[in-house]
Amino acid sequence: MTSITSENAVQSPSRIKRLTAPVWNVFKQLASRPLSLVGMVVVALFILMAIFGPIVAPYKFDALIKGAARQAPSAEFFFGTDKLGRDVYSRVLWGAREVIVIPGVATTIAVTIGAIIGMGTAYFGGWIDEIVSRLLDSLLAIPALLLALVMLGVIGPSPIGIVIVIVLLYVPIVARVIRSATLNVRSSGFIEAARLRGEANWYILFREILPSVLPALTVEAALRFSYAIFLTASLGFLGLGVQPPSPDWGRMVNEARESYDRTPWALWFPAGAIAVLVIGVNLLADGLRRVFRYEGV
Amino acid sequence: MQSGTYRIGRFAALLAILLLITGSVFSVHAQGGTLRIGAVAPTVLDPALGSNDPEILFNRSIYDYLVEVLPDRSIAPNLAKSWTISEDGLTYTFTLEDGVKFHDGSDFSSADVVYTFNRLVTIESPAVNLLGEFAVSAPDAATVVFTLTSPNADFLYGVANQLALIVKDGAETPNELASGDNPYANFNGTGPFTLTEYKEGESATLTKNATYWKEGQPLLDTIQFQFINDPVTQVNALKSGEVDFIFKISPDQVSGLETESGISLIQTTTNQHPVIRLRTDQGPGTDVKVRQAFKYATDRAELNDLVLEGRGTIGNNDPIGPGYATFFDADIQVQEYDPEKAKALLAEAGYPDGLNITLQTINVLGYDTLATVLQQQWALAGINAEIQVNEEGFYYDDSNPDNWLKADLGITGWGDRPIPQGYLAEAYTTEGIYNETHWSDPALDELIQQASITADPAARAAIYNQISEIFNESGPIIIPWFAPIFSATRENVSGLTVAPFPGLTDLRGVSVS
Repeated sequence: MTSITSENAVQSPSRIKRLTAPVWNVFKQLASRPLSLVGMVVVALFILMAIFGPIVAPYKFDALIKGAARQAPSAEFFFGTDKLGRDVYSRVLWGAREVIVIPGVATTIAVTIGAIIGMGTAYFGGWIDEIVSRLLDSLLAIPALLLALVMLGVIGPSPIGIVIVIVLLYVPIVARVIRSATLNVRSSGFIEAARLRGEANWYILFREILPSVLPALTVEAALRFSYAIFLTASLGFLGLGVQPPSPDWGRMVNEARESYDRTPWALWFPAGAIAVLVIGVNLLADGLRRVFRYEGV
Repeated sequence: MQSGTYRIGRFAALLAILLLITGSVFSVHAQGGTLRIGAVAPTVLDPALGSNDPEILFNRSIYDYLVEVLPDRSIAPNLAKSWTISEDGLTYTFTLEDGVKFHDGSDFSSADVVYTFNRLVTIESPAVNLLGEFAVSAPDAATVVFTLTSPNADFLYGVANQLALIVKDGAETPNELASGDNPYANFNGTGPFTLTEYKEGESATLTKNATYWKEGQPLLDTIQFQFINDPVTQVNALKSGEVDFIFKISPDQVSGLETESGISLIQTTTNQHPVIRLRTDQGPGTDVKVRQAFKYATDRAELNDLVLEGRGTIGNNDPIGPGYATFFDADIQVQEYDPEKAKALLAEAGYPDGLNITLQTINVLGYDTLATVLQQQWALAGINAEIQVNEEGFYYDDSNPDNWLKADLGITGWGDRPIPQGYLAEAYTTEGIYNETHWSDPALDELIQQASITADPAARAAIYNQISEIFNESGPIIIPWFAPIFSATRENVSGLTVAPFPGLTDLRGVSVS
């Protein structure tokens, strides 16, 4: 139970190798909590869907099935068909890629950049820290969706545009969290020891500090990922995300909205998929937080 | 006994008459009320420039036309009570109504008309398109004379243009919100309602003009515009009773309203249509074979079925639709659908492996759905279209580098015009201000010009047939359908006839009980 935290407490140098062993430990601990287990299973299922969905799907996401518009869910069309005669089940399966890949890529980039900035500013301190921190604070002051709308209005709606927007929105948040986490360990004995040994700054940053802030980083990444899914879906819903005939779930919800009174299933399934995925990621993030005994910043 | 029955009968008759009288008195009293309209927020308020339906509906309630187009497309007197046309068709003399006053209390006179029409020219309002070249003068306070440089059979339609609303002589900034005591001083028309409150992007309140020149009108006490940009929210607002009238309901929502109790659905036959157009001066559309290929690759019947649920009239390759009883040739062969032929034409044009192109479209009227189906149809002919859906306002915005006048391939929404000449002069002549295809065909220009001076309907129909031929052979546009417009009111609204261009709907005879 306490292996991770005790390691954190001891914080001896050169821990990268020994960090792979705790990954299994984390899994085991997550699996022991029912809610965290649900979260893990859900996320795993959606990742499988993103990988194999298009292979399993009976139709292509943009195929108009002749004479099959507005069919209720049945053995032939599990989730029914939309107003144009597209198979909702196939579209939801194809859509998993859009919904997981864009936020996934964006979160990875945002967390990487955010972590580097956060560790760097806290470690070096001084005027660099002041300037960068205030800059990030000012970015944080802008409401997320508003910034997204303005930016996509300028650079035009495209998957890359969404990635850029999410990165810009989440780098300051991640950086702030990691900066605080780094400040907590900066004055620890093992960092001092490394300095006295004459280790290079990059070594101290990535071999000493990074392992210590990894729990914070993992929880933060999971949380950001769930928000990014929601933001991507929201942008798709607003028509600012990917373009038709993309099976992006947010866009599907928007397209189904006007004919909800006749093809409600075309809205239920993509909306349900977003809800389940976001809840799943959140349960997982919550589980990680508990495993790491990480209270957040 | 007999006389008793007689008396009772007489008494009953008297009672019935009394009831009838009081009843009619009561119904007169019942007139009035407040009409709440759910509509997209206007962006351009100047009556000479604002062009979409909510803007026109707002402006025409504050201002008046000199003459106006009725929903049946005929011309009727308004501020001008009568007019005469000279033998040569070059001089139009209008006699104005007496006793008309602007909202600020000043008298309306011929000078205001002269100023209005000169202003249309100066600020390059789209209204001048049908007017042609003219000079306007005021021999006396109640007379206005237009002198044309060349005959123009559609001149009265020009005078009745939706943007030719009469403003006060010297009004430089009509409908600009002013600072100071009266922010609405610039909304100074002669119209049936005065603006009493305007909250940008939110609502507008118009109050009955008690001294309106037209006897007994308007009936309503108040018009309230609730600005709702989202079509689904508009329908929900109508259902929940927050608004009484909405127009231009998107095709997906129509059948849901058919069964809704307490709501009357209104269908208006119009010439409104989407134009799927290529540019003729750049991109693949420069080649006539490519234009032909797009026409053959488009299955109009399927588009009408899937997007409009079969409610539209299938279109051809020119804008003269079924809205024009005189000019529309219902027997004309509709363009056939043949993806193989489209493929062959593309190969001849130098695209043996298909063609990649971006299709620009807007997010209203079901045009994004239209684009989605087009993409699938075109794929069968080797046209790989990538769809770009734009916010409507952005697509028509001058600052957008891929706007409707610049994109190589796009879908444009064209509202109803009272006569086909409107579309032809605006969009398909070399000099047309909305020549979105950048098409320049001297023979076509000549025919359009000829039609404009041909007053005889049969002769004009013959010219329009020739024009349709040119559109079929080398035209850069595809018209999938001509759409009816759907509007809806709550049941307590009476006297409302929606015009084919919904913004031109006359609210003077409307009442709400």
